[in-house]
Amino acid sequence: MVLATVTALQATLLGGLLGPLVLTGVLVIIPAVVAGVLPRLLRTAALVAAPLAISALLVNFFFTPNGATVLFQIGPITATAEGLRVAVEAAVRIAAITGALTLFYLTVPLGSLVVDLERRGVSPNATFVISSAVRTVPAILVRSAEVTDAQRARGLDTEGSLRRRLRGLLPVIAPVLLGSIAEVEERSLALEARAVARRGTRTLLWWPADSGLERFSRWLMVLSVPLIIVARITGWLG
Amino acid sequence: MTHLATEGLVHAFPGGVRALDGVTLDIAAGESVALIGQNGSGKTTLVKHFIGLLRPTAGRVLVDGGDAADRHVADLAGQVGLVFQDPDRQLFSGTVRGEVAFGARNLGRRGAALGAAVDAALGAVGLTMVGGLNPYDLGRARRKLLSLAAVLAMDTPVLILDEPTTGQDLAGRDRVAAVISSAKQAGRTVIAVSHDLRFVAENFARVVVLRDGRITADGTPESVFAESGWSTLAETGLEAPESARIGARLGLGSTVSDGALVQALGAAQ
Repeated sequence: MVLATVTALQATLLGGLLGPLVLTGVLVIIPAVVAGVLPRLLRTAALVAAPLAISALLVNFFFTPNGATVLFQIGPITATAEGLRVAVEAAVRIAAITGALTLFYLTVPLGSLVVDLERRGVSPNATFVISSAVRTVPAILVRSAEVTDAQRARGLDTEGSLRRRLRGLLPVIAPVLLGSIAEVEERSLALEARAVARRGTRTLLWWPADSGLERFSRWLMVLSVPLIIVARITGWLG
Repeated sequence: MTHLATEGLVHAFPGGVRALDGVTLDIAAGESVALIGQNGSGKTTLVKHFIGLLRPTAGRVLVDGGDAADRHVADLAGQVGLVFQDPDRQLFSGTVRGEVAFGARNLGRRGAALGAAVDAALGAVGLTMVGGLNPYDLGRARRKLLSLAAVLAMDTPVLILDEPTTGQDLAGRDRVAAVISSAKQAGRTVIAVSHDLRFVAENFARVVVLRDGRITADGTPESVFAESGWSTLAETGLEAPESARIGARLGLGSTVSDGALVQALGAAQ
């Protein structure tokens, strides 16, 4: 699960134009269809990748040096066919990376990731940090919505000019941060009271399934990374 | 002074939950009204409409006869002060005084007028001596009083309190009661969302019971908490205050507060 993502990511970093496209198809789109999350995946990935991809497109298209085939010129900026090629490659790569990460996010429940990491010998402290970090994000979003409401009720204008809105940042950010910090001590005591720091092995109530096929494909993907690197260096993949 | 009203107010949250399902309510200027009901009955959702933080899915919210939909929250905040339940979701200033001044300053108060408003608000909740401290150096109960002071300083014609007594000891509860009493004397409208029915019976002239986004009872504490209304209360998961139940058992009528019960007992002897 984790490795599928990481591998897709690494392999993408190495590909040309066709490589990332094939990778996206095989490692992202097909599993997404199987898992039934394709519409959500496309929506989320598009949201995340669009700004990045567009800026990468523009920068690479117009500012790739050494382009010989001039397409058109705007002032000092020259658009070349080579630039276009680099730009599309970059955009495709970004699409593959965000696709893989989004797939991971959409298909792997946090609980099974944490249990799996713990089973593989990662310390409970570390897995707790991971899970609480991930879980904190939605909590912070809810919290900042509530804080914004409370400050608007005290006459904070969040709908006015940019300057007004900037001035309104502190009253919203501060309670989100201060409130979260104030909660930390209480939370750690509550965890302590539930024996979170106990040493020794733990019993898991539930194990995520891990079939032989899954193990095999994971290793296959890990192995593919050095293979691709070697192929790239030797120029075999172009 | 401000007159509040809702007409057939419906609020559906994304996902389809109808938190308010046709609420028509009229609150005259200077009234003191307690909204009671189970968690999820729509009390907080209702009061958030009076200041525009939530907008109706259907129906209207009227502030002084005008539709609140046409006005910004920052504008409504000059008329309707809403104290949120959780102080930690609003305190941001480095000092208690700065925190109290924030809302009043947003309403345009400056200089001596601002200072006087802050002093009065801190005095009302008994936090004058800690004006220079950081809000987070206060315990939670006092932070809650601080968030009350922060809205008091805005001196709005309407004061809405969401669960004002939660976490307060007897002294804190008395503070809140005193704040409500002086706001009533000043002719301000006071609305509270509360689960503390004893507090409600002692401090409010009108009680509105909400259940699943509808009003099921509306009247004086004596009528809402009278024995005939107990079955309605029970459907909402509520129980009349102890003094009312003792009074009814002894045949003394609707004695909703300890004071009323003692008085009725004295008269009976």
